Amino acid sequence: MTLELAVRVTEVLLGLALLQQSVEFLRGFGVEKKLALLRAPLAILLIAGVYPLWIASILLMTTFILITRFRGPYNGGSDTMSVLVLVCLWFTHIAPSLLWQEIAFGYLALQLTLSYFQSGLVKLENREWRSGKALREVFSFTAYPVSESLRNLALKPRLLLWASWIVIVGELIFPIALLHSVALTIALVFTATFHLANAILFGLNRFVWSWLAAYPAIIWFHHRLMDLL
Amino acid sequence: MGFVGEEDAIPDKWIPFRPIPVRFTLTQHLIRLFYNPDWNELLYINTCAERLFEGGDKFYIQEIANRLLHAIQCGEVVHTCDAKFMYFRIRATYSEDTVADQMGQITDEVFLQSHAYALNVAKVIS
Repeated sequence: MTLELAVRVTEVLLGLALLQQSVEFLRGFGVEKKLALLRAPLAILLIAGVYPLWIASILLMTTFILITRFRGPYNGGSDTMSVLVLVCLWFTHIAPSLLWQEIAFGYLALQLTLSYFQSGLVKLENREWRSGKALREVFSFTAYPVSESLRNLALKPRLLLWASWIVIVGELIFPIALLHSVALTIALVFTATFHLANAILFGLNRFVWSWLAAYPAIIWFHHRLMDLL
Repeated sequence: MGFVGEEDAIPDKWIPFRPIPVRFTLTQHLIRLFYNPDWNELLYINTCAERLFEGGDKFYIQEIANRLLHAIQCGEVVHTCDAKFMYFRIRATYSEDTVADQMGQITDEVFLQSHAYALNVAKVIS
């Protein structure tokens, strides 16, 4: 995958993610609703590839307004990833040379890789995660399961123990997948499935679209890495 | 959420805001994958509550109140005709520390109760 193609696909996927977020904000009120009226057409222009630097710049400014408005991300990690993808795209567009473009876009791939690895490491260091108790508690009494029927999963400790370890190992070995195209394909299918499961179980739908938007960067980075090795 | 006719009254009934359903159909899951504003707002309210547990200031209380008042204005939350004020309270549910592979005793307690918010002049602050 060429850098140019990867950047274009990222713009399309990020545009879809931002459009999805904006349409949800239109249901609300206040500054976020007004900004959504501006960000939705900007997201469509980003998808269309019209003046991407200018569109990314305005989207970036509105993002800072939203972050200030909510004193942080509205939707946690999904918003953080959207911002990261947008910032890296913006830097890729203003970079003065191909080398700097690759550094800006490669940073996104590295950050994504580290995010998974660090998340796996934190879980591995946590006794509750290692024993499956963390997931049992999540399903048992937290506000995250989207329906009452899902709370019954708390009664299946063996299943949750397996699920915990699959997530821990999957996240920890993610960086290794960068070294082989088949391994990377499996890893990306695994992580996409993980985000999809989080959307179904915990309603974290925005994560799916925001994190998918960063995948072209990692696919490009893998090809670039293979060229160097 | 609780509703009263007089500002100093105590709500005799508390109702949960957006209680979760028993289950979703496959179609509902698919729709929620693309469009799920109410749930994401609920997640934001949870984030505000977590900030309050950590010692956050009244910005987070106001954020929660604004969203509840907006839901009332939109007709999502129904109250009796004589209700003039809304209260809300935040419950904290947690398990007590125990050995790593066993669940501790689950405790559910009221962490915070808001002041009264007038419903007839309820204008959501943006």
